[in-house]
Amino acid sequence: MPQLTINGRSVTVENGVTVLEAARGLGITLPTLCHLPGKPAFTSCMICVVKNEVTGRLIPSCSAPVMEGMVITTDSDEVRQERKKILDLLLSEHSGDCEAPCTTTCPARMDIPLMIRQIAGGQLKEAYETVTDRIALPAVLGRICPAPCEKACRRGHHDAPVSICLLKRFAADEALKVDADVPPSPEGLRRTSRAASAPDKRIAIIGAGPAGLAAAFYLARSGYACTVLDEHEAPGGQLRYRVARDKLPMDVLDREIDVIRKLGVLFQMNTRIEPGAGIQRLKANYDAIVLTPGRTHGDSWHLWPVESDGRGVKVETGTFRTSDPMIFAGGEVVHAGQMSVRAVAHGKSIACAIDQWLGGRPVVGLEKSFESRLGQLKEGEIGEMMKDADPGTRVEPEGEHGAGYSTDKAVQESRRCLQCDCRKAKHCKLRDLSVEYGASQKVFTGSSRTKFVKTVSPQVIFEPGKCIKCGICVRLSGLAFLGRGYETVVGVPFGDSLKSALGSAAADCVRNCPTGALAWKADA
Amino acid sequence: MSEDLQCVDEAVAEFGRDASAVIPILQRLQQRYRYLPEAALRRVCELTEITPAAIAGVSTFYSQFRHKPVGRHIISICHGTACHVKGSELIQDALARDLKLGEGEDTDSNGVFTLERVACLGCCTLAPVIKIDDITYGHLTSQTVSRALHDFLELEKRGIVPERHDRTAAKGAGLAEIRIGVGSCCEAGGSQSVRRELEAEVKRLGAAAVIKPVGCVGMCHQTPLVQIITGGGEPVTYAKVRAEEAARIVRRHLKPGGIVRRIRAGVDTVLEHLLTDDTWEPVSRYALDVRDAPVCSFLGKQKRIASEWCGDLDPLDITEYAAHGGWTALKACLKAGQPEQIVEEVTRSGLRGRGGAGFPTGRKWAVVRAAPGSPKYLVCNGDEGDPGAFMDRMLLESFPYRVLEGIVISAYAMGIHEGFLYIRAEYPLALQRIRAALARMESDGLLGSSLLGSGFDLTLKIVEGAGAFVSGEETALLASIEGQRAMPKFRPPYPAESGLWGKPTAINNVETLAMVPWILRNGAGAFQEMGAGSSRGTKVFSLAGKVVRGGLIEVPMGISVRDIVNEIGGGTPDERGFKAVQIGGPSGGCLPASLGNTPVTYESLAAEGCIMGSGGLVVLDHSDCMVDLARYFMTFTQHESCGKCTPCRVGTKRMLEILERLCEGRGVKGDIERLEEFARTTAGGSLCGLGKTAANPVLSTIRHFRDEYQAHLEGRCPALKCRKLVAYTITEDCIGCTKCAQICPVEAITPAPYRKHEIQQDKCTKCDSCRQVCPSNAVVLGSPGVSVDKEVG
Repeated sequence: MPQLTINGRSVTVENGVTVLEAARGLGITLPTLCHLPGKPAFTSCMICVVKNEVTGRLIPSCSAPVMEGMVITTDSDEVRQERKKILDLLLSEHSGDCEAPCTTTCPARMDIPLMIRQIAGGQLKEAYETVTDRIALPAVLGRICPAPCEKACRRGHHDAPVSICLLKRFAADEALKVDADVPPSPEGLRRTSRAASAPDKRIAIIGAGPAGLAAAFYLARSGYACTVLDEHEAPGGQLRYRVARDKLPMDVLDREIDVIRKLGVLFQMNTRIEPGAGIQRLKANYDAIVLTPGRTHGDSWHLWPVESDGRGVKVETGTFRTSDPMIFAGGEVVHAGQMSVRAVAHGKSIACAIDQWLGGRPVVGLEKSFESRLGQLKEGEIGEMMKDADPGTRVEPEGEHGAGYSTDKAVQESRRCLQCDCRKAKHCKLRDLSVEYGASQKVFTGSSRTKFVKTVSPQVIFEPGKCIKCGICVRLSGLAFLGRGYETVVGVPFGDSLKSALGSAAADCVRNCPTGALAWKADA
Repeated sequence: MSEDLQCVDEAVAEFGRDASAVIPILQRLQQRYRYLPEAALRRVCELTEITPAAIAGVSTFYSQFRHKPVGRHIISICHGTACHVKGSELIQDALARDLKLGEGEDTDSNGVFTLERVACLGCCTLAPVIKIDDITYGHLTSQTVSRALHDFLELEKRGIVPERHDRTAAKGAGLAEIRIGVGSCCEAGGSQSVRRELEAEVKRLGAAAVIKPVGCVGMCHQTPLVQIITGGGEPVTYAKVRAEEAARIVRRHLKPGGIVRRIRAGVDTVLEHLLTDDTWEPVSRYALDVRDAPVCSFLGKQKRIASEWCGDLDPLDITEYAAHGGWTALKACLKAGQPEQIVEEVTRSGLRGRGGAGFPTGRKWAVVRAAPGSPKYLVCNGDEGDPGAFMDRMLLESFPYRVLEGIVISAYAMGIHEGFLYIRAEYPLALQRIRAALARMESDGLLGSSLLGSGFDLTLKIVEGAGAFVSGEETALLASIEGQRAMPKFRPPYPAESGLWGKPTAINNVETLAMVPWILRNGAGAFQEMGAGSSRGTKVFSLAGKVVRGGLIEVPMGISVRDIVNEIGGGTPDERGFKAVQIGGPSGGCLPASLGNTPVTYESLAAEGCIMGSGGLVVLDHSDCMVDLARYFMTFTQHESCGKCTPCRVGTKRMLEILERLCEGRGVKGDIERLEEFARTTAGGSLCGLGKTAANPVLSTIRHFRDEYQAHLEGRCPALKCRKLVAYTITEDCIGCTKCAQICPVEAITPAPYRKHEIQQDKCTKCDSCRQVCPSNAVVLGSPGVSVDKEVG
């Protein structure tokens, strides 16, 4: 029964036990990618490396049997640095997007492919939730947004981009039709369960334009008592007083604002806040202030009692906090000439930052995950992506000019989406570890990228470009390693179907695949 | 086209239905169909336990297997280290041009020839080498390679196929012996046609002489070699013999009717004539005592243990082997009946594994002997994969019984009754000889049940490698025998405790085993007497590259690298001497001339960033670029990586990308530091020796030749080797003879009689033909350090 030391703690184990298992016995979980619990180690990914201080060597803990007198370090800087390098290497051969280019281009980072899949599946309630997770006033934006997402849409390489804006409008209009409730946000759910007895926090929002409205929308959903103060007669800011009526009918704007009212947001119209004394009063009566007055008064941003420069009020990136820790600013007062969708995005970020601050958590703004990027498409790759999509041409809405989609048309158009996001973006071990260890896909600039390939079966999507050659699916099913070395790909022998190769092990393969290489088609 | 699948059924009947039979079955199929048709593969799955995934995985892993039909003949172009430094890429280009191959094509439009790149054919002293089917052509240039194609087609037309060897007539008293070398290098040099002429002349004269094929004597740079031995006299050696000279040689020594006369006086002139014919060494090297000097220098400092009697024996003559002390050691071991003592003796001798790792052999045997578990297995590792190394090939071809005796002794010492000889498929002659030797041993009671009546049983089987350098790694080799992709496993457990099918397995290199009978006959002490430090005994090296006398040598450990190159090898043709010696193949490093006094021991070489390796020594001169060499080795390693572990699979690729950038003048600031950093990750994190040592060539060349890397960053190649960084220009010495324009294969020179010619840089492929053909040395090669895109003025 050998005895070893792990991170200074001593433990005795049975013969034949691996260092990985011994660590687990001490409550230390080591990262793994290619490891199949209960099966012999494959020793491929090397992410589980630890250092044996006796020999000075780095060893894979999943395979190394415990030897008497071993002294193991699992968490030193050196070991963590090695793991980061392994991840850097894996990311350099990873051909795929965690999030689709439409999402990463959208200033609000809405999960567009998910929304589209939900529309295609008739799940309108879910589609609305996906939209409102990132975008307030979707029915408004669905009529006025210039849709930068469509310019990035990969379908545009083949024929015309997917009509993302109109699809979003469809989801929003359908929700308005049935007076759908806006669900509380995840943060709101957490707050309610955590601090039922805490006194409500009160937030003052200066300016009822898109930025302020969005901030109110998200803060109210998180359970805060919000008051929006605006000097105009009715809320909306630019949306009411600048945008052409034929583009944005007033009743749409009014109904969207009603949605916000229904969340308990109070509006104090015809109220102008003076930059000096006015702010002081608000600070005394509220717990946080959102400064989103827009640019209606020309260059007057420097009058607000926070730091500013020649372009606008200065804010911290990501948190939108000003030099006054209580005041968060967004919208045109920070940066002129934006799209409304960007102002709305500011509102969401501000809500998140305030919630973190008032909840006593580190104020960092919206979480940024690791992003693998496919980049420019190479020859032949659009054909691969088209395998998952309807080949038809772009669907135009019927009816008079300015009409939106009918349900049939919306579903038909949604099927044109290439779904180039990763189906497993939220459950990818590689992505999670890359976040944890700060790995980067940019270490090996100038290197070649493996070709993007997609194989589609009735239920499973297989993208070998995302494969890390861990061999789990090969060990579990009829899939095979083809080729050798860097050129190795996992594939179906004899060109048979993916379905027949996966057989009854399909669920196990999808579940255990540590990246998005194997995923359910239906996965969100 | 429907394939006749009868062959599949036959192969399965012969090799069995177990999953482990997949590689021999695939080899048999490819022999018949010349590639692997999908229908045949599917049938294998139907008839056996081999799954589609397994057959797909295995057949796509090993380089030997082809999935597309090929031309009538296959041209294998060797890109081993020696061939590379002698211009194998130019040969490749020339052949691709001759066959008018388009981008990505490997077969000409008439389906006659398919080109394939191979890592090493093991004929390094004849570099550059190509093989067309079974015929080897050496010493090629981009000009002469077309001639080789036509020569081959001529032979095909005339229906002449290379012979396979049979037994020679028994040696009788009073008969003169005419020995002809029959190693692969000799054959490649044309020894078969020489032999035919010798036989014809002896028959015609009715002379009392016997033609005897002998194994490799090591002087590969002089092949074909013919040696005349007359009753009790000293052997007279003729080098680089051509077929048309054979008759003359016979007549000089043999009189009609059987009277043998030795003409000493005439030999000098004959030999001098022969040596200076068609060679590129300066005649002045052979000043005095022409007959003996080169041979003596070559053989002088050598000490033959593993390669004892090479050059004296017919490889397959078992009686002759016995007459020279063969089987003495084995018989003594069996008689003594004390296997543990054999292990002790080998341990005392200090013998270390000669495959490269240098692990103490005795200790390994002791572990296997003591390991619980049965049955136990042994494997003789003949997968010699280092490009530029051909020692094991020589031993297997020329001294099969010695290797086998070592195997049998080791089996007896460890209590093993079943063994495998894993020999790479690229050594067909070695496979053939070992097969014949095994058959002979079985019929003589030296293998099988109760060897020589001792009660000890042993069966040996041959397993053919299928083309994967990584299968030389112990655990990968075992996976290969078990019918899987040759992917290594983590150690411990070591094969000695848990190897083939989980049983204790002793894996030893060919050369290591060849030492064993000598050690047991002469005693551990005698072996210990040679060497230095903990590196005792001798080591066989294959000396190749820019050296006058290349070949196989066996020297005591501790001799200096400089002595090997200059004394034994005769130095370099270039008067500036050698620049560096590459030691240890793709896992090794470059030893600069400034460190030439380094003794050849495991420790001293490791201290200088090299490794002993399996014994490949490639001599480099000032026309060799060290960055290109690092790129060459990384290309090899990256291609041979099994792909299982991240640091090697991706790390070698990334390092290769940087090296390629450097060699093409696209280097980026920080590249050298990046190489060093990636090297650390690959070396530290890789699963097996291939990955762990992949960065050695890069690191050692950066260490000793950093200035060359720096120059490449600036767009210069000081050695004038990297084609994207050099330019050919014509100087004022041009006499306007138009020879260059005529010979240029891409019409980059317009003929301009009596005027100075110009090379169009954008068309020039740097094939070197114009410089070779220019009668006035007006074509010069330079590296001006201008960026790739700009024109060279």
